[in-house]
Amino acid sequence: MRIRCPYCGERDNGEFSYLGDAAPRRPDGLEAQASAMHDYVYLRDNPAGEHRELWYHGAGCRSWLVVTRDTRTHTISDVSPARDVARSRRPGEAA
Amino acid sequence: MSTITLRRSEADSAPLPTGRHEAFRTASGGLIDRRRPLEFRFDGTRLSGFEGDTLASALLANGVRLVGRSFKYHRPRGILSAGSEEPNAIVELRSGARREPNTRATVAELYEGLEARSQNRWPSLRYDALAVNALAAPIFAAGFYYKTFMWPAAFWERLYEPLIRRAAGLGRAAEAPDPDTYDRAHAFCDVLVIGGGPAGLSAALAAGRSGARVILVDEDHRLGGRLLAERRAVGSRSGVDWAAATIAELESMPEVRILSRTTLFGVYDHGAYGAVERVSDHLAVPPAHAPRQRLWRITARRAVLAAGAIERPHIFGGNDRPGVMLAGAVRTYLNRYGVLPGRRVAIFTSGDDGWRTLADVAAAGGQVVAVIDSRPSVSPALRREAEAAGARVVSGGYVAGTKGSLALKAIVVVDADGSSETIACDCLAMANGWNPIVHLDSHLSRRPAWDAAIHAFVPGTLPSGMVAAGAAGGRLTLAECLETGAQVGGEAATACGFAAAPRDTLGTDPESIAHTPLWRVAKPKGKAFVDFQNDVAAADVELAHREGFRAVEHLKRYTTLGMATDQGKTSNLAGLSLMAELTGQAIPSVGTTVFRPPFTPVAIGAFAGHHRGKDFRAIRQVPSHAWCEEQGAVFVETGLWLRPAYFPKAGEADWLESVNREVDTVRSRVGICDVTTLGKIDIQGRDALALIERVCANPFGTLPVGKARYAVLLREDGFVLDDGTVARMGERHFVMTASTANAAKVMQHLEFCHQWLWPDLDVQMVSVSEQWAQYAVAGPRARDTLRGVIDPGFDIGNEAFPFLACAEVTVGGGIPARLFRISFSGELAYELAVPAAYGDAAWRAIMQAGSPHGITAYGSEALSVMRIEKGHAAGAEINGQATARDLGLGGMLAKKKDYVGRLMKERPALTDPDRPILVGFRPVDRAQRLRAGAHFLALGAGPSLAADEGFMTSVAHSPSLGHWIGLGLLRRGPERHGERVRAYDPVRDADIEVEICSPVFVDPKEEKLRV
Amino acid sequence: MTSAWTPRSAWAGFARAGRHGRPQGEPGVRLTLRDGVGLATVIAADGQEDALGRILADRFGWSLPGSGAATLVGERGLVWSAPGQWLAVAEARAGLQGLAEALRGVAAVTDQSDARAIVRVSGPRARGLLSKGVAVDLHPRAFAAGQAAVTSIAHIGAQIWQRDEAPTYDLAVARSFAGSFWSWLSHAAAEFGYEVDREAEH
Repeated sequence: MRIRCPYCGERDNGEFSYLGDAAPRRPDGLEAQASAMHDYVYLRDNPAGEHRELWYHGAGCRSWLVVTRDTRTHTISDVSPARDVARSRRPGEAA
Repeated sequence: MSTITLRRSEADSAPLPTGRHEAFRTASGGLIDRRRPLEFRFDGTRLSGFEGDTLASALLANGVRLVGRSFKYHRPRGILSAGSEEPNAIVELRSGARREPNTRATVAELYEGLEARSQNRWPSLRYDALAVNALAAPIFAAGFYYKTFMWPAAFWERLYEPLIRRAAGLGRAAEAPDPDTYDRAHAFCDVLVIGGGPAGLSAALAAGRSGARVILVDEDHRLGGRLLAERRAVGSRSGVDWAAATIAELESMPEVRILSRTTLFGVYDHGAYGAVERVSDHLAVPPAHAPRQRLWRITARRAVLAAGAIERPHIFGGNDRPGVMLAGAVRTYLNRYGVLPGRRVAIFTSGDDGWRTLADVAAAGGQVVAVIDSRPSVSPALRREAEAAGARVVSGGYVAGTKGSLALKAIVVVDADGSSETIACDCLAMANGWNPIVHLDSHLSRRPAWDAAIHAFVPGTLPSGMVAAGAAGGRLTLAECLETGAQVGGEAATACGFAAAPRDTLGTDPESIAHTPLWRVAKPKGKAFVDFQNDVAAADVELAHREGFRAVEHLKRYTTLGMATDQGKTSNLAGLSLMAELTGQAIPSVGTTVFRPPFTPVAIGAFAGHHRGKDFRAIRQVPSHAWCEEQGAVFVETGLWLRPAYFPKAGEADWLESVNREVDTVRSRVGICDVTTLGKIDIQGRDALALIERVCANPFGTLPVGKARYAVLLREDGFVLDDGTVARMGERHFVMTASTANAAKVMQHLEFCHQWLWPDLDVQMVSVSEQWAQYAVAGPRARDTLRGVIDPGFDIGNEAFPFLACAEVTVGGGIPARLFRISFSGELAYELAVPAAYGDAAWRAIMQAGSPHGITAYGSEALSVMRIEKGHAAGAEINGQATARDLGLGGMLAKKKDYVGRLMKERPALTDPDRPILVGFRPVDRAQRLRAGAHFLALGAGPSLAADEGFMTSVAHSPSLGHWIGLGLLRRGPERHGERVRAYDPVRDADIEVEICSPVFVDPKEEKLRV
Repeated sequence: MTSAWTPRSAWAGFARAGRHGRPQGEPGVRLTLRDGVGLATVIAADGQEDALGRILADRFGWSLPGSGAATLVGERGLVWSAPGQWLAVAEARAGLQGLAEALRGVAAVTDQSDARAIVRVSGPRARGLLSKGVAVDLHPRAFAAGQAAVTSIAHIGAQIWQRDEAPTYDLAVARSFAGSFWSWLSHAAAEFGYEVDREAEH
């Protein structure tokens, strides 16, 4: 597989490491509920199809990336810097 | 068909040197270099050949037909094909450390002194003891192993496996390390062309002329594919000459790279391809500094699949006898290698294509004795051609069986009326149509499609960016190969943004590929093989059908059809056609098995490349490495780091004595230890403190500039991720350390927290692990020692620089350095960081300055002993299953801030008072040795999972106490000081009584630390 | 004491001066050991990239390269490393004095002069040599002078920037990996024949 890092260009998947689903949003703050944290840590969808997921370009620019990949075909339709994606989220909204 | 006048190069027509005995070599012709004779050995016999020969062609030239024994029945086998699809002629090459098994003789290039041996025979190829297996053939049918070696289970490893391995193995691998080197390389191109036959050459030419970056790979050492094997015309030239001219033009293009002797073995996602180049396989020994093979990782925007097609055998009795060959292979040996595969050749064909063999045999001086065409009628033109050559024609008939013991002597032919006769011949050329090579286009879990016009599977939905050309795409005629190759090659370049280049219009001599495949003969006489390499006969497929293994994947696994090195290249479709007939389905309804890389076997060495032996993985050296080596340190691998474990001195009996001395010296005088391996992360910026507060579980808000603090980091699920220190170098400048093993993981975690969780934090982070050499100087004389190293003017006394102080200092007359008053040993200790290039100098300076104080260097072993004596948790305790509370760190966790892991660490199971918690242990009998990994059981309790109360995590011999001590995680441990439990270690046969105690064994009041 | 405080080359103990590998013909690869180079990581504070660019231009005459680029004049300049992050390079470590001071409040500056082992790769087979380890397309159509990449070579993290069209490349790897990296480099270069300019110091 090859992933087009928005900064470094297309690179072998060996330069990246995989984390998983980019949808869960961490419930921040002292008022956060344990049940919400449980869901954030453990609940994941496993779709057959388009999936937004977090990858880390550890052997390159060390950017965390949100990669939109079709889990059936490995077709990658979008790669965005995770920090940009995270900054554009509204509070309480999933990525 | 034979009306073209063929021009041969001078070398090809040079006379045969005298005194050679290649009885089956034609007087002239072929693409071998007759001026360059070679000598080789097969099973010890000296034989000769020419440069340009394969081992197979040279063996045939010498009249050697029997080449190996089959896998299961040990039947005599010869040479079936002339390419990488060969299932029979599998040999062992070379000797000693270069000995390699299972090479197909059909692709092994001949070189001077080549040594080859037949495989799977004992005591000799001609008299093979295990050939009796053939007599017992009925019991060796499909599923034999599954049915026979079932019971009793105790026999599986003791008896059955060795028995099966001895009987059924193929070749022998070398037992000595491979003396050759292997290389790897990355290549990028616009258009990758897979296969250098007429379609591939045309495609490469079209793409190359348009200016695209082209890579053309071909497994053969000479490009041209079937053009080298057939007597064909392209335009006004012979096919051979056209290929040569095309290659010359391609070689003149700077952006075209031709990789011959290179097999494209795998197709991967997003335009990635794997290929192996046999750089020196055609030589006895690779030239100095040249690799044996090179693994290519190719990335291409577009790919043209022009891998060609493989001819299908017929299924009839004794179709595996040496001398029975594919008709295309017979023509290859005749036309390319100048070898007559037999003097009296019979042709068994189901299409017009096989008839080409007639003229080629005649042109080379052989005799075609008969043409058996399974189709009911044969055109008058073909009939006339046969008559002219003196060959009989049997139409609507078939070959039912073969005769001969170790080589073909005759065939049994059944004519259209059903009457049979025996025809003497020493070679049978069979032509049953061609299967496009659909392996590579199927690698990404794609399935081929059935093409009824050519009775074969062709590529289905191709991987993105790939197009097929020529025979690989089911376009079997030469004209179609040239046409489709040029077309898709040009289109591929256009798709990459290059302007289309003008194309040559090339005619070819006429060609008919009309055929009606004969999937199997009506009444075979003898065993009719479907898969030669795995000894799977038609009867085995029938058995699989009877027993219900009808799905293709079941058929494959039950019969082993299509397995092993040839991956069913000549057998898959034959097996499917039989199953289709048995189940009353059409062939495409039966389906195909999954094709996976590699296309042909690839040596593991090629994948390993440079990374073997000492280069198996990268090694990191500490800045004091040179000094440690001079001192004879014993090194240990921790992660990728090579750390000094201890420094043996003359007269010391063992490691324990050295380590004890190092610990004693540190505790009584002073020692120095290289702790550069710790991760060091520089954190700056407006929100640096905010980020640290969120990633660390203990509070940092009150940490003043010039102070360091122990830090514990949790994972979001509540377990401990790592521990280290955070030093505040400035208002907005921190240095965080992480453990050696977790340095990279912690950095990645911090990046995650910053970039994904809290992107609005204004923080600048970078690893400085490599910038600073860092040394722990510990012991009562540490301050005195460092005073001799740190530049005058810096007060490192206890008042000015108390425990946990940090500061920027200079050493060596102005070299910037950092000093931290932190201690892992429990002694008065400092860590001095200097720029890594000065690491060697600093170490030597400290050793010199410490010399009057009796300094010792200490390694990771002594470091570990001292941290166990002090009850500090390390990797063995921070094991991914321990919470901060489990490690006795619960009290320091922050109450008034949010941080990673805060909520999840409160889960009921993680706060269960029954959880194992860190405590210390000492043997009741102080002379006994403790073992890490031992499990704790209540005294008198038997070993069971239910009785398990935890386990010993770390042990050390404490020179301070004079006995073994341990740390461990024990249920309700801290409540049980003074109690005794069993430390049960069945793995090392130990079961001793231990006493539970505080994990701090030495200086519990920390009197030594703060002086 | 002061006389003993000499820096040790990252390549010491590994690189040996002279001609190695294939002995025939001109060496295909030339390796120049680069010691004592001044290096610093420059990371822009949030929203300060423009200010950073201005200060670097005014005070140092440097322009801030975009992603995948390097702006070097002679032996000085900047190599892009990550979003908002650059590697400042100077011929000697003293060459970066004043940088941190000048960028206070705008960017974090961290000395990395000792953190990397740097080797300059040139010669007619430089590109072929690097293709054995660099999984980035170095063809002139894809990668030219003034371009840079952070990647890995033989499982070792590496930063590479092309200096000229000869081509000449500078390769930087983490200092502790110098031995393993040199082992790969010398193995990969052997078939072309290579020359090392001088002995590594110390």
